[in-house]
Amino acid sequence: MKLDVVHDLQSVYRKLVDSTSRPGLISDLGKEAALLDGENPAGCSRSILLLALTLLDPEVTFKVYGGDAEAFEKEINQLTFAKAVQADKADYLILLKDAGAGSLEHAIEMADPGTFINPHKSATIIAETGIITEGNKLLLSGPGIQTSTGINIELAGNWIEKRNEKNKEYPTGVDLVFVDRNHQLLSLPRTTQITESREVEKEWVM
Amino acid sequence: MNNAYNFAFFDEGSKREIRRATLKAIAIPGYQVPFASREMPIGRGWGTGGLQLTLSLIGKEDVLKVIDQGSDESVNAVSIKKLVKDTTGVQITDHTSQATIIQSRHRIPEVPLRTDQILVLQVPLPEPLRYFEPSEHETKKLHAEKEYSGAWLMLFEQIMKYGSMTTGADHPVMVHGRYVMAPSPIPRFDNPKMDENEALILLGAGREKKIYAVPPYTRIVSLDFEDYPFEGESFHGKCCRLCGSEGVFLDELIDEATGETFYQCNDTSYCCEILNEAEKAGVN
Repeated sequence: MKLDVVHDLQSVYRKLVDSTSRPGLISDLGKEAALLDGENPAGCSRSILLLALTLLDPEVTFKVYGGDAEAFEKEINQLTFAKAVQADKADYLILLKDAGAGSLEHAIEMADPGTFINPHKSATIIAETGIITEGNKLLLSGPGIQTSTGINIELAGNWIEKRNEKNKEYPTGVDLVFVDRNHQLLSLPRTTQITESREVEKEWVM
Repeated sequence: MNNAYNFAFFDEGSKREIRRATLKAIAIPGYQVPFASREMPIGRGWGTGGLQLTLSLIGKEDVLKVIDQGSDESVNAVSIKKLVKDTTGVQITDHTSQATIIQSRHRIPEVPLRTDQILVLQVPLPEPLRYFEPSEHETKKLHAEKEYSGAWLMLFEQIMKYGSMTTGADHPVMVHGRYVMAPSPIPRFDNPKMDENEALILLGAGREKKIYAVPPYTRIVSLDFEDYPFEGESFHGKCCRLCGSEGVFLDELIDEATGETFYQCNDTSYCCEILNEAEKAGVN
């Protein structure tokens, strides 16, 4: 089987819509990713490639962080005709798994948050992370979530702090999309508030 | 299905552009995201915004319902359904509970929506501030600065002139405590249904080239004053002459021969479902 750019990318998009409108809802891109078998340019994750094919075209720009960023940028450009640019100018910032510590924080810091007049011109960060599951390490709340919902995500660093800093002045901010190696998709739009339950526990002990 | 056209009419580039705008709209509830509204085979102002959203969303497995002012069978709804069915081959339904995508003109169905459904509303005038500010450049600035005194002043003037808010349909709402939004010309009766709704609500204005969204479980407050609270249309003491439903949005009809006034459900498929159930239960 081969990926059908009409129907399979529509299905990826609908999962992205579901996960973005209900932050914390984890969508499975496994079925579509399996169709990309054998097409794995520059060793990137197949779900990252699926998202790139769904969202990128000549009208938008992107930037890749990761070990072999240049090769992957070239590959994405050839597949979608989107242009690779500097981080602060990019509409989409893509972080591969081997992007290294501090890359996500750097991407969040550099990403264009849009303006008060045009908040939609902000960047979206797509990152490959460790395993994403339902859980209770991070508590999410905000539009799309009835009261609160919990997730676990294997992702080190102080990205939550950086994100809070970046999204301080709503409606400007950046939207995050995470995928793991099992092709589980999590979307964290700027309206989602993240609470680390570790902090809550710490306060409790004190 | 007509294979001379692409699946869902659009080329993939057009879909991608609409999809990117939709995702940003979901991330910023109530904010109007500009998009490159495409030429459609129906006239601008006849539901092209909603249609473009529907076509960018729809897949082979979807079940579509289209309603126009509560009716599944009016010209606008039928033409849109025909176009989508011809270019996608998806299943069409009249039953709200069976649909996965519901495109609607000026009503939110009576049957409560579920988490697996998406409501697409057609919007003629997406800018709630346009009534008193003709410049797009200026209204964008007013939204940026959350300067909404004009919207309240508009309602205040109505109260001064007529003794109550006279918006009728399209009564402005505050979304997630940030943006004032036009809920599309749904009757005031439907405004409270938007608040904390379980389904994703997408709004598309084709002529004005704007897409905006209300994610599920989002706080929607109709603008009002402490001493003049917001009120939906009241049908107290009235019921549908066909199915006897109360507490739904009713159309007022007048029999020209006798001059008699009677009421009927505006949501025709809801009315029909109630009648069919009653028949099955052997009431008649």
